[in-house]
Amino acid sequence: MWGKDRRKDPIQDGRRKIRIFLVKEGCCNMAELHIIGQILGARGFPQNSLFCKWGVHTGGAWRLLSGLKEGQTQVDIPQTGNMAYWSHPIDLQFATKGLQGWPKLHLQVWHQDSFGRCQLYGYGYCHVPCSPGTHRIECVTWRPLGSWQEQITQMFVGGGPQLRSPDLIYSGADRYRLQTEAMGTVELELGVIMRHFDKYGVDS
Amino acid sequence: MASSNPSLFLLTVNGQIEGANFPEYDSLYCKYSYVYGHDWAITTGLEEGITQITCKSSLSRTLVWNFPLETTFKSTNPSGWPQIVISVYGPDVFGNDVVRGYGATHIPITPGQHTKTIPMFVPEPTWRLQKFTGWLLGRRPEYTDPKVVAQGEGREVTRVRSQGFVTVSFHITTKDMKKMGYDTGPSNPQTAGGVDAF
Repeated sequence: MWGKDRRKDPIQDGRRKIRIFLVKEGCCNMAELHIIGQILGARGFPQNSLFCKWGVHTGGAWRLLSGLKEGQTQVDIPQTGNMAYWSHPIDLQFATKGLQGWPKLHLQVWHQDSFGRCQLYGYGYCHVPCSPGTHRIECVTWRPLGSWQEQITQMFVGGGPQLRSPDLIYSGADRYRLQTEAMGTVELELGVIMRHFDKYGVDS
Repeated sequence: MASSNPSLFLLTVNGQIEGANFPEYDSLYCKYSYVYGHDWAITTGLEEGITQITCKSSLSRTLVWNFPLETTFKSTNPSGWPQIVISVYGPDVFGNDVVRGYGATHIPITPGQHTKTIPMFVPEPTWRLQKFTGWLLGRRPEYTDPKVVAQGEGREVTRVRSQGFVTVSFHITTKDMKKMGYDTGPSNPQTAGGVDAF
């Protein structure tokens, strides 16, 4: 009943709407993190027609306010040189109540041949930098290694073992079961803007 | 003029499109435009432009435009940070004007001087026959809107060929970002270049 009376007064109604928005979003109490940058490309892989599936994983205290949390880049076939360039933009805004579960970027590099068949070339992950500014990151990648029979088959027909669940890319829980081989590196340039972290005593 | 609790901040971009490195092509010109989010607007400066046509000289194999960029943006939120989208065009063997590369990069977020080397790529035709008829008739695949290069969605179905680089230098100044609580890191006094890909 009190709602009906307040709606008649436009100023009170506007204030009520702002209060509802702030309580719902919890904006006053949260620190904000902006991640603005690009997945530049990859080098050091056996072949060059590459694309990358990427995603950002955060802990429970983090909320995505804007931007896409995952995606897939274009397939690049470089004319000269040995680096595949994607220039895939990343623009994310997170709000958080705690430092646990700092965002991690996980990547899967795939090779696409001229017939359109895709083969996994590597998994990798890196943490988003914790200090504001522009950062150049080289993310190393690895690929699961099968038995020697599987390796010979892979040499002729391609394919190869893949992880059943992508969680293992950025978690260390069951890694001891794996045998892997090193693959190339993915280059990223990430800009980090932090807001209100100093209010909570965070040094960066 | 100075307010203790500003509601928006300014980003000033002064710089130039220095030139390009395309080993296989000559006589190129470039178009640039800015792509930014809903919270952003341009207060002064041009949103897009076209450079002159430049050729390689006998002394150096790089192409030089030296094209000025002077724009100021205003915004309430860093989300949707502006990107510069560059498209390079040039003549093919038959004299048709074809696209030689698209590329995009974010405007740097930290104040100071930055040099960025932007890789340029073109959409690649699916079939070899299409590639040959495209070469013969001068009708290469092009993006209907070059600004799609600045987006992340819809890229997963495109095949491209990277074939050159464009060098852009920026001098960035921001106003009122610190007052609004945004920390963009230490100012960049001098950077010695971005991607070392030449």
